[in-house]
Amino acid sequence: MLLLVGLTFSCAQREITTPEPGKVIPSEKVKAEQPREEAPNIVGEEEVPKIETTEIEKAPSAIKVSEKEQKDVLKDIHFDFDRYDVKDADKPVLRAIADWMLDNPADRLVIEGNCDERGTSEYNLGLGDRRATSTKDYLITLGVSADRLQTVSYGEEKPLCTESNEACWAKNRRAHFVVLKQEAGK
Amino acid sequence: MNAVKDRRYAVCNRLLFIILLALCCLLPVFLPAPAEARVYIDITSPGFRQIPIAIYKLSGAPAGGEISGIIKNDLQFSGVFSYVDRDAYIETPLPVFNPQNWSPLGVEIVVKGSVTVDGDELSATIYLYDVVEGKKLFQKEYRAVRKNLRPLAHTISNDVYKAVTGEDGVFRSRIAFIGEKGGKENIYIADWDGKRLKNTGVGGDLILAPHWSRNGKRLIYSAARGRQWLIFLLDFKEKKERLLVRSEGTNIAGDFLPDGSGFLFSSSKAGTPDIYLFDLRTLKQKRLTRWRGIEVSPSVSHDGKEVAFVSDHGGSPQVYIMNINGSDIRRVTFSGNYNTSPVWSPRGDRIAYSGRIYGKNQIFIVNPDGADPLQLTERGNNEEPSFAPNGRYITFTSDRDGRKGVYIMRADGEAQKRITAKDMRAFGPRWSPEKIF
Repeated sequence: MLLLVGLTFSCAQREITTPEPGKVIPSEKVKAEQPREEAPNIVGEEEVPKIETTEIEKAPSAIKVSEKEQKDVLKDIHFDFDRYDVKDADKPVLRAIADWMLDNPADRLVIEGNCDERGTSEYNLGLGDRRATSTKDYLITLGVSADRLQTVSYGEEKPLCTESNEACWAKNRRAHFVVLKQEAGK
Repeated sequence: MNAVKDRRYAVCNRLLFIILLALCCLLPVFLPAPAEARVYIDITSPGFRQIPIAIYKLSGAPAGGEISGIIKNDLQFSGVFSYVDRDAYIETPLPVFNPQNWSPLGVEIVVKGSVTVDGDELSATIYLYDVVEGKKLFQKEYRAVRKNLRPLAHTISNDVYKAVTGEDGVFRSRIAFIGEKGGKENIYIADWDGKRLKNTGVGGDLILAPHWSRNGKRLIYSAARGRQWLIFLLDFKEKKERLLVRSEGTNIAGDFLPDGSGFLFSSSKAGTPDIYLFDLRTLKQKRLTRWRGIEVSPSVSHDGKEVAFVSDHGGSPQVYIMNINGSDIRRVTFSGNYNTSPVWSPRGDRIAYSGRIYGKNQIFIVNPDGADPLQLTERGNNEEPSFAPNGRYITFTSDRDGRKGVYIMRADGEAQKRITAKDMRAFGPRWSPEKIF
């Protein structure tokens, strides 16, 4: 045991450069330690690779309905904060859109659900999804066939108005309508 | 001379080792703590105070100064060390060490060393000293090509951090996030400190926060391309993405399972957004929630047994937890009426989320049982938290300086800073595991 303690001490002692306590060591008087023979750490690095992306077949492009039709018939409808039920005030708008769909049987309608900026992005995508879906469901009750209606949520990512006030937020909490050609659909 | 000395050391050590081993077997009760075992500083204890550290400017300009600057920045941000200014140092920068030169300054750890540049090759020798125990903790040599100067410096920081705390450092981890320039959104990857920014080229009309696999070799993410929300798997080895989910409706990728055998996602394919589990071995999808409202943002616990997610089932978006098979749903958040974006800490003891208070979203952390919610941010909107692999830091999105950017902070809310440039809109950050690709 004694031998062990002695040995430990002598081994440990040699490892430390022990200068006189309490004194600043003038650098020129100290011999620098020699690097020990130890394998150096080679720091390698994998680059962030360039990624080959998957081609998604081109989605049908929106056909231009006349500005007048977009403005007079295919009007945005709006929602309360964190709500997705169709408001009574917007029901006549959806009635007019349903009639327009019945008059234009070759066309498909995309309903885009949008939110204001106040929420967080993933939940807002869920909320935009519900807004688009409840709008779609209402149009179906008005006689529009489900397979002519498509929904997509853009959450808070495609604001119409970018100021941070209630007037602007109210404009952004909307369902927006885009008309697609039937043959370009499925 | 040195060789002889080295051999003597070796013999001495080997002899000691054999005797110790023998003693170990014979007299375990009387065995004292091995002389060289370091008593790590417990950085988790409530009474922990930062460790004063001296970091010399490494010789060999300009690379030496650059490397010591990075080490200093890493260790300061860690929260474990407090940096003592160089003006106070009285010891020579040479690799000699006398604890007496340091104790009057209150310094406990000293970093010295030198850097040499030979063509494209960098090499650094680092000495780490412990003032309290009066000894050298290590002496190490590092080599790298010139362009890997930053990884080299971060590796030194990791070694210093580990030698003092006994824990792995995370200074070589990265942060993946979404950056938007000129209307195009792409996945970018930067070092944790925001440096060495790279665009992966993966994008979409819109793209959401990517999720890392635990081995750092894959990402899962959702992108809107051509009016569809699609979920892709990106494999860094194959260098390509694979389309996995293209159901009608909104499909949003969540976390990978810990073993990488699958991932969670949210989809509205059955009518309303619900949580699903995608099995990557069978390519089958299993539905986990069946509520009629909005269920999004699934995050899996470190042991893979539980899932935190958001639901508006109770009338407003709140954080819930369920078992991985969808059973035993319980609510976590009760204060406020808009709590979203939950993520588990890697240790599984806390959940970070974004909660709305006084009209703004802020980052909170809470125990999984709902106890002790703590607000970490105050300025602007702060969203989309993600933990560093050691659970000690959080990256998040903030609009406190105007445009959205990626920020980092310690998990106690200290040391908040922006890591992305002001000319880029950046959001959806996710901290990588320590080793990636």
